[in-house]
Amino acid sequence: MSEYDTEGGTQRLPVIERTPEPSGSPDLDQSASSAAYEPVGPGGARAHRFWSPRRTPALLLALVVIGAVGVLLYDISAVRAGRDAMHWRQVAAGDLATRQLQDTWVLVGAGVAAALGLWLIVLAATPGLRAVLPMRRTTADVRGGLDREAAALVLRDRAMEVSGVQSARIRMKRSKVTVRALSHFRELDDVRADLDTALGTGITELGLAKPPGLSVHVGRPAKKK
Amino acid sequence: MLKSVNRVVLALAGLVLLVVGGAVLATGLGWSAPSWWPWDGRHDVLLSTADRLRWRDEGWWWPAVIAALAVVVLLALWWLLAQLRRSRLSEVLVDSGDGDGARLRGRALEGVLASEAEALPGVDRAHVSLTGRRTAPEARIGLLLEAHAQPAAALAELTGEALEHARASAGLAALPAEVRLRAVKHRAQRVS
Repeated sequence: MSEYDTEGGTQRLPVIERTPEPSGSPDLDQSASSAAYEPVGPGGARAHRFWSPRRTPALLLALVVIGAVGVLLYDISAVRAGRDAMHWRQVAAGDLATRQLQDTWVLVGAGVAAALGLWLIVLAATPGLRAVLPMRRTTADVRGGLDREAAALVLRDRAMEVSGVQSARIRMKRSKVTVRALSHFRELDDVRADLDTALGTGITELGLAKPPGLSVHVGRPAKKK
Repeated sequence: MLKSVNRVVLALAGLVLLVVGGAVLATGLGWSAPSWWPWDGRHDVLLSTADRLRWRDEGWWWPAVIAALAVVVLLALWWLLAQLRRSRLSEVLVDSGDGDGARLRGRALEGVLASEAEALPGVDRAHVSLTGRRTAPEARIGLLLEAHAQPAAALAELTGEALEHARASAGLAALPAEVRLRAVKHRAQRVS
């Protein structure tokens, strides 16, 4: 479908008899050649998710602990040294001794603490880094991870190469790609079939450990009135 | 190492918060509490004056409290600094075969790896940092892919060329690598 190339006609004016064929035509730079790259490793280690080091939550928790325990330590030492306790500690001791467990603020505080605790446990137990898709491992030593955004960009470029596609939007989830394309000419079914094959190739070229499923929607752009 | 420490400490802190918060919430909402429960019922208080002063006259109480709090603060400080430090390898030991060995500056190997990775087709920029031990370094690589690059091919070429050259030239048995691939943002181009 590359005959629609409109700019080809103006350049080739056969004036000189001996053209040394500059460089353009001989090297076939076609997308079909990419199939030969396919690094299909029959063996290779299993690709695991990337695990976040959880630096930021650790940093925040450490700061909170240092702040709270540090102030408490300072105040206790000051009292030992014969000074008065800080105001907040007297208030806190009074509150702790007078507020009953059914007090709203106690319940709210307990709820917040429990929710925070649950969240910290979730943070500790889940891999995180949902934006990084693990790539197929061809050698045991190298682990590759592809950004979801990068994968979406590659697939969008693939979709735009299909003739008839005016624009394409890619929604990349961890296990599924949804493509919504607008086509301004050609039969919609033809465009969809072409998109299916082009994006299928595109997905294998991403080299992901678990190739995502593909769903393609093609429509006509809104008519101008 | 730091990864596991972070996750274990986060999980422990979460567990403590969840258990204490949940226990207070359960009692405060009127659930029947077993006898060993720290609170007796909805009308109990969080920490009564008698409880607070229970051990105050014992000789060991205040030194023990102060020591425990100090240990907690020091550990938290170490943990905080560990987050900020990036463990980066300053040199790699090269076994030259004659028993002497040589030292290769980590920055030099990083630079070579990065420039070779950037020379690969489809790679716009590369960032390399070495971690691990001097005798067994590991590479962390970030690749920025150009428009119309093929991620699988880029990773395969990086493995086969840049990483393999670096491994061979430093005389290492293996050079494990973690590679993250991103893409340069670019506009869609219609080719019809």
